Amino acid sequence: MAQVLQEKDSVRLRKVLLQLLARSESDDCLLCDSGGHMLALEGASRHDPFLISALGAGVFGASRELARMLGENEFSAVLHQGERKSIFLRAVDADTLLVMIFSQSANVGLVKLYSTPAVEDLRQILADIKQGPPVGDTEDSRPFVLSTETQLFSLRKE
Amino acid sequence: MSFVNFKKREVQFKIVYYGPGLCGKTTNLQVIHRLINPEARGDLTSIATAGERTLFFDFMPLVAQAIEGYQTRFQLYTVPGQVMYNLTRRLVLRGVDGVVFVADSQWSKMQENVESFANLEENLQLQGETLQTLPHVLQYNKRDLPDVAPVHYMEFMLNHGAVRQSSFPAVATTGEGVFEALNMVARQVLHKFMIVHSRKEEGVRELALV
Ligand SMILES: Nc1nc2c(ncn2[C@@H]2O[C@H](COP(=O)(O)OP(=O)(O)OP(=O)(O)O)[C@@H](O)[C@H]2O)c(=O)[nH]1
Ligand SMILES: [Mg+2]
Repeated sequence: MAQVLQEKDSVRLRKVLLQLLARSESDDCLLCDSGGHMLALEGASRHDPFLISALGAGVFGASRELARMLGENEFSAVLHQGERKSIFLRAVDADTLLVMIFSQSANVGLVKLYSTPAVEDLRQILADIKQGPPVGDTEDSRPFVLSTETQLFSLRKE
Repeated sequence: MSFVNFKKREVQFKIVYYGPGLCGKTTNLQVIHRLINPEARGDLTSIATAGERTLFFDFMPLVAQAIEGYQTRFQLYTVPGQVMYNLTRRLVLRGVDGVVFVADSQWSKMQENVESFANLEENLQLQGETLQTLPHVLQYNKRDLPDVAPVHYMEFMLNHGAVRQSSFPAVATTGEGVFEALNMVARQVLHKFMIVHSRKEEGVRELALV
């Protein structure tokens, strides 16, 4: 029940996302899983990446169900086009989603085009992560320590 | 499933509020949003119908100092309770770490509570989960209304497994029983996380399933 991203995995993901960001001239490139967890983010806009992950996973999950209804295996990508901003969602593997946000100045064709090799790279990295060393067996694995705070969430002080 | 990012020193968990239509799931998130220390929460986002029924989900991120040296994020979601939205409930449940089951205490809702609880178990099974191992708590909501079943009766209907789960009488509109349930489920989720991450062997097997 735990998915873990080691430091070196983050570095590899970052490299791919940065390159994609530059080539496609998009504002943000983000990786999330189907449960809505945010795995990685590159970009400069101030949108809340956790909300984008939650909504992106929802939108994509819903479109997958629509595809199934129509007898399609899946829609591998979803594009929402606005006047100024657009968003492009693309499956990386069964459990991971690439989200790209771009402005009018960027070109949809380029976004789609460059997302293809990026998705290949990302898929490879994610596969490596799943094969990777077990939890507690790497340089990052200092043991987790729970804080002694028993009330994790408390009321605001008036 | 929880998600650990070592580089960002961050752990993410997903908590889902489940229960029949109109039992008060959205109200739970609204009152948490209103009463919690503002630094601990992000915005509450609701995808709802014009009539305020949840259509897809509500979402609110919370941040706590729960694991030393890490920012611990609890992402709170609600499902739509209306029976017809079952597919949507399945989507929202994906990767869940803990559940708050909100039951409506009114006598007239008892059947719906039981059905929704069975529906939760069924949907979890589809993703290879079960309430036997998934951290969850019960909240008996709307205790302020006149026609409510006694708590022991609700326990009998909803909390009769071999292991008794924690349960909380509540009035979500005022916040009564809301933070108690949230804190308890969050603590259970953390304990499960610690177990997975301290027993290496288990961790390996779990990871292989991801
Ligand atoms: N009296 C009373 N009313 C409550 C309580 N909790 C929620 N309500 C009311 O019940 C109604 C439904 O609450 P919601 O939170 O929208 O219910 P929900 O579970 O999110 O419903 P769906 O989104 O359709 O699944 C609202 O009018 C709330 O104000 C409570 O503890 N007492
Ligand atoms: Mg609701």
